[in-house]
Amino acid sequence: MAKIRVIFENGDPERVVEFDPLAAPFHHDGKPGSILDVLLGHDIHLEHACGGNCACTTCHVIVRQGLEVLSEASEQEEDLLDRAPGLTPFSRLACQAVIEDPGAEIVVTVPRFTINQVSESR
Amino acid sequence: MSQPPNPSTRAPVAASARRVTYQARVERIFDHAEDTRSLFLRMVDRPMPAFVPGMFISVAIPLAAETRTRPYTIATAPEEGEPFELCFNLVTGGAGSAWMFARRIGDAIDFNGPFGAFTLDSKPQAETIFIAEGTGIAAIRPMLKRLMTAPLAHPITLLYAADRADHLLYRQELQQMAAAEARFSLQTLAAGPDTHDVYEQLLALTRRRWIAADQARGRHFYICGVGNGVIALRDLLRGSGYERRAVRYEQW
Repeated sequence: MAKIRVIFENGDPERVVEFDPLAAPFHHDGKPGSILDVLLGHDIHLEHACGGNCACTTCHVIVRQGLEVLSEASEQEEDLLDRAPGLTPFSRLACQAVIEDPGAEIVVTVPRFTINQVSESR
Repeated sequence: MSQPPNPSTRAPVAASARRVTYQARVERIFDHAEDTRSLFLRMVDRPMPAFVPGMFISVAIPLAAETRTRPYTIATAPEEGEPFELCFNLVTGGAGSAWMFARRIGDAIDFNGPFGAFTLDSKPQAETIFIAEGTGIAAIRPMLKRLMTAPLAHPITLLYAADRADHLLYRQELQQMAAAEARFSLQTLAAGPDTHDVYEQLLALTRRRWIAADQARGRHFYICGVGNGVIALRDLLRGSGYERRAVRYEQW
């Protein structure tokens, strides 16, 4: 079984999910087997304003452990991450980062801030 | 009673905060084609939150067992006020678009946002080419509307394609823009039964006009549409020498 530990920077209680990557999809948003798919399918809320279509960065997570076992980020994901506040070398979009290794142990932090309503004066 | 947040202080937003959920009602419905519709929405209780041309709202779609989040691009410019417009097509098997198509005048729609990274944040500093496919025009239309409020400093081109002629939306409005502004040019194309995939035509035109025609690589591009053709256009342009950040795109 693979495992994801989710740490919320906002202080919400930490969550741990054990799952079988071969059983994906767990939900209907994000790539099947992605961090977003796994979390939503296990009743852990994660923002995904665009429906998990790689069109925003509200599902930005920072991967503390297991970055190397996630699917490679596409150019489209990298382009979007460029616009995410709090970007780190370990940033991924949860809707795109797929866990394929049945023995993976992933730790992610959900940042306190996400890119949201780009503001301008009305 | 809590007050709505000040739009100018909302970005970025703490993920810990409960998102503000807005509600709007359908004021008018316009069918562009039998499978393409615009809903015109007026806010309930709160003012429309601030947004930038190109952004979308996240609509809460209440289904039998759950509520799904689906994005719908705002097809009007911020300065147009209300009602604001959502333009979308009916997706085969898509629960979200089926629900949206079932809305009637007076129905309420809950949403949050607006969101999005495919935005026109400032006036272009170079010749700019917008490439839209089908309902992808919904994101580009408000960008053009904003740009047309002042004389253009650089040439603007819209290359707009669809799988058939009646899927070319806002055609009259776009033609009026082109007639009114000498530096804005419009080219539309519709794939017919005897023609290749619309993206093949877009790729061929792009290659001819902005790659093979000269060595200039200072142009900016905004591309929006459905499917992998958007990515193919991105790769074509970046691969031919255009700066990565000069090629902006949104693929649905």
